[in-house]
Amino acid sequence: MKRLYYGLGRRKFIEYILFAVFILFFYGPLCNMLILAFAGEYEYPDVIPQTYGFKWWDYVLSRDNLLSSITTSFLVAVLATAISLAICLPAAYAISRIKFKGRKLVMFSFLLTNAFPKMGIYTAMAVVFYQLNLMGTLPGVLLVHIVNTMLFMTWIPAGAFRNVHQQQEEAARDAGAGPVRTFFQITLPMAFPGIAVAAIYTFLASLEESQGTMLIGLPNIKTMPVELYGIILDFPASGGAVFAIILLIPSIILLVLLRKYVGPDTLSKGLKLR
Amino acid sequence: MQEKKKKSRTWVGYLLVCPAFLVMLAVVIIPICNSVLLSFQGEDGGLTWDNYLYFLTDDASIRNILFTLKVAVFTIVLALFISYALALYLRFSTSRVSRLVGHLYLLPRFVPSMVAVYAVINIVKDSGLINRISLLFEQNIKPGFLFDDKGIILVNLWFSIPFATMMLLAGLSGVSDSLVESARDAGASSRQIFTKLLLPLTFKDIMITGTFIFMSQIGAFTIPYLVGPNNPKMLGVALFQQQSSYADYPKAMALSVIMFLLCSVGAVLYIWTSLKDPEWAEK
Repeated sequence: MKRLYYGLGRRKFIEYILFAVFILFFYGPLCNMLILAFAGEYEYPDVIPQTYGFKWWDYVLSRDNLLSSITTSFLVAVLATAISLAICLPAAYAISRIKFKGRKLVMFSFLLTNAFPKMGIYTAMAVVFYQLNLMGTLPGVLLVHIVNTMLFMTWIPAGAFRNVHQQQEEAARDAGAGPVRTFFQITLPMAFPGIAVAAIYTFLASLEESQGTMLIGLPNIKTMPVELYGIILDFPASGGAVFAIILLIPSIILLVLLRKYVGPDTLSKGLKLR
Repeated sequence: MQEKKKKSRTWVGYLLVCPAFLVMLAVVIIPICNSVLLSFQGEDGGLTWDNYLYFLTDDASIRNILFTLKVAVFTIVLALFISYALALYLRFSTSRVSRLVGHLYLLPRFVPSMVAVYAVINIVKDSGLINRISLLFEQNIKPGFLFDDKGIILVNLWFSIPFATMMLLAGLSGVSDSLVESARDAGASSRQIFTKLLLPLTFKDIMITGTFIFMSQIGAFTIPYLVGPNNPKMLGVALFQQQSSYADYPKAMALSVIMFLLCSVGAVLYIWTSLKDPEWAEK
């Protein structure tokens, strides 16, 4: 009896130790960054800041280039998501509902950006973009973000369209609705959760895209992750932390929203493609 | 009549797919073809293997290739090992801690990579948190992770473990409880269940996960750029510098073709398994 208790105790003990390691490894850096963002004085070798305040927030928010990168980031993300929705949803619908020759080939082409080294694809794009004068322009950067996210913008909504029963559409057609009206009033609302997940993933992926934007967008288009490259290399720790947290906020808000409105299945399907 | 209707539906299909496919064609497929052609172009404009030979004979670039492979292998082995243990724990433990970990382990995938890299740097750099805490105990530990392969591997693990755990857990969840119980009833030890049942059944998931990590490492840029050494450097960083600092496009293209080829082994596997997904099987 005593040995069993001892054995159980040791097992729990090991479990808790490993849990602590897990938390420290994955959440320690994030918590440390959160503390640093609100630091006032943080001199070497303080473990935690001596004073707290919004000093670095004022500093970051008073720098024009950082402020404008925040606007650029959100502008690019919103535009990329909207354009991506506009061109990918029809494709997703066609892939899920209409059988045509070359369907697999089309789906395969959307996989390309995920199956090959991103930097290789970006440099290949850059060479062509130079000739088209797209380097350092907003359309150039938007194209990078759009092709990056095409995979989940087509595959997740295609899965959602497929799950809408065809009989329901037929019923609407029988009741006299035209094909366009049927799509907008029956199919689209029913596929909405999947589309929302895809749109939010696209938005987040666009917000955090760094290497392609840096290669294609410099010197004119600077998003937050691009500025972060410079900040990481030559800013005091607390200043960078503020900026990093501003970049993190949208992810957290959207994640909470997603959890609330969308089932875990759709969520994890998107995660896998990511 | 029926035939005609079917035909018009096919055309609608092509029409709907057209915009997305054209973007893909213009922005990805044509540039890739273009880059393959460009990579064979010599300084005089003729066809040549020189650009490839440069990367396969130059000492520095051979070191880069070997360094990339070394980081990739270490990341794969460590990530698979830790993730498999974590996935096993999440699959078979019913404790409260295990449920909590089940909720917590996915969040890192939503953290923008730049933010996470930055957060980890603040811990492990030589004047970072680890050093500061060690000073409290009158030690002076300088991890020396920054600008070193250990740093790249550490940050890689931060990103790879949640991903690999997710993939492996999906595989392990496919092994039904009844199967494990019947093996146990037949007298198999935990170790036998692991080596004779779980490992073979999830072998495919392990391979796919490893392939994913391998491919991500061949093209990795952000992490090695920020925490890696300058010489040798990983291929993603070398390619970026070839393109933006030296502006030597034929050479840059040759290097990216080499990276494509290294990846293509994995890519074939990835595409094959993705298209084989039952959800997409013909009705």
